[in-house]
Amino acid sequence: MRIALPLIAAIFALGTARAAEPGMVAIPDGTYRPLFRMEKDAKEVPVAAFQLDAQPVTNGDFLIFVRENPKWRRSQVKRLFADEHYLAHWSGDLDLGSARPQQPVTNVSWFAAKAFASSRGKRLPTNAEWELAAGAGFTVTDGAKDPEFSQAIARWYGTPAPDVLPDAGHGRPNVFGVRDLHGLVWEWTSDFNSALVTGDARGDTGLERQLFCGAGSLGASNTVDYPAFMRFGFRSSLRAGYTVPNLGFRCAKDP
Amino acid sequence: MKLLLCFLLPCALLAADPLPPCCRPPLPAGPPTDKSLYLLESHWTSDVGREIKLGALRGRPQVVAMFFTHCEYACPILVSELKSIESRLPPEVLAKVDFLLVSIDAQRDTPEALAAFREKRQLARERWTLLRGAADDVRELAALLGVNYAADSRGQFAHSNLITLLNAEGEIAFQHTGLKQDPTALIAAIQKAATGAQR
Repeated sequence: MRIALPLIAAIFALGTARAAEPGMVAIPDGTYRPLFRMEKDAKEVPVAAFQLDAQPVTNGDFLIFVRENPKWRRSQVKRLFADEHYLAHWSGDLDLGSARPQQPVTNVSWFAAKAFASSRGKRLPTNAEWELAAGAGFTVTDGAKDPEFSQAIARWYGTPAPDVLPDAGHGRPNVFGVRDLHGLVWEWTSDFNSALVTGDARGDTGLERQLFCGAGSLGASNTVDYPAFMRFGFRSSLRAGYTVPNLGFRCAKDP
Repeated sequence: MKLLLCFLLPCALLAADPLPPCCRPPLPAGPPTDKSLYLLESHWTSDVGREIKLGALRGRPQVVAMFFTHCEYACPILVSELKSIESRLPPEVLAKVDFLLVSIDAQRDTPEALAAFREKRQLARERWTLLRGAADDVRELAALLGVNYAADSRGQFAHSNLITLLNAEGEIAFQHTGLKQDPTALIAAIQKAATGAQR
């Protein structure tokens, strides 16, 4: 029985994967358990089935995009939509320099990521979608029940970012066939700004009590999922125009 | 002649009854600056049913907050704070500043709901703009302003209480965070921005 469950999950993933478009993976509908919630909120948020890129968008992909969309080139982007470090690791507008085409693209703002996605007829995944996909283990859909998976992601979140980013697409795929959700770069989500804590306004919202009070932290749905806390904190520190050397993205799409 | 009429008509209206900020004639200005929120192409609908781009508000500083009309806790206070700031501005500054409320509740805040809210809170027609937009556009504007929000299961939104001052060009000039904070610095910033108003 122990063996049969992952097998069934794998067959199910394979079966649904066929429906996805090239480079994307079908994620069946599921439930996302938000880390923080208001007292009367549901413990579980239903997430409809969607498609997710099997790996993060690469420098090479993004180069094609800026070639076709001059207003997103490094020298032409409006400051409103990307800060001054936008694509700073490239050598020029259309020159990757020492960056490799297969590395995940980073130093891109939320606006740039959104524009890329829309140019491909896609969109950014929501937090709930991203977390749902990222919560899946190597062999079972519930990663918390996959000790090997939990250890692998804890290792990454405890390791400083390498100076040179590895190429995308080499991480071990999860049960759905999605790679690099952990272990490579942080990723933008469409509603990254729904995390209700901001570093500069602690009196800001009701949720902050939950985050900063000792009693409140007990309200977190899973107090041992440390990486989820880190992602929550990281997302809440972002602004849409920020570019960060280890923050990239991948696209999603409705089925 | 037609051209002259188009030009004169708004002025005539202006003399009779001041035009709401959304409906003023566009300024003959160049493209927005690199940091201007008026670069946004999204379309918004005001409580009078008028469809605009945010760039229509160019020319006067805007005191901006995001809210929703079904709000039970924070927004009524937020709007009261904005009104209190409004009441503390001298007339010459007040004549050069607008207030802008943008709803985060794309579903329920129809133009009618916004109009009812304006009525209830008695927001001066010549100075206050109330806008609603598509969910994605609201998310984008919020991201630019640094307003975080999330819907809860009771139809309420938890959201940052942030007041943003845009200068006449639509650039973020000042931000005031949290409820019940001393607004002295914000009021000073508004007065400063009003000197840059182009109308």
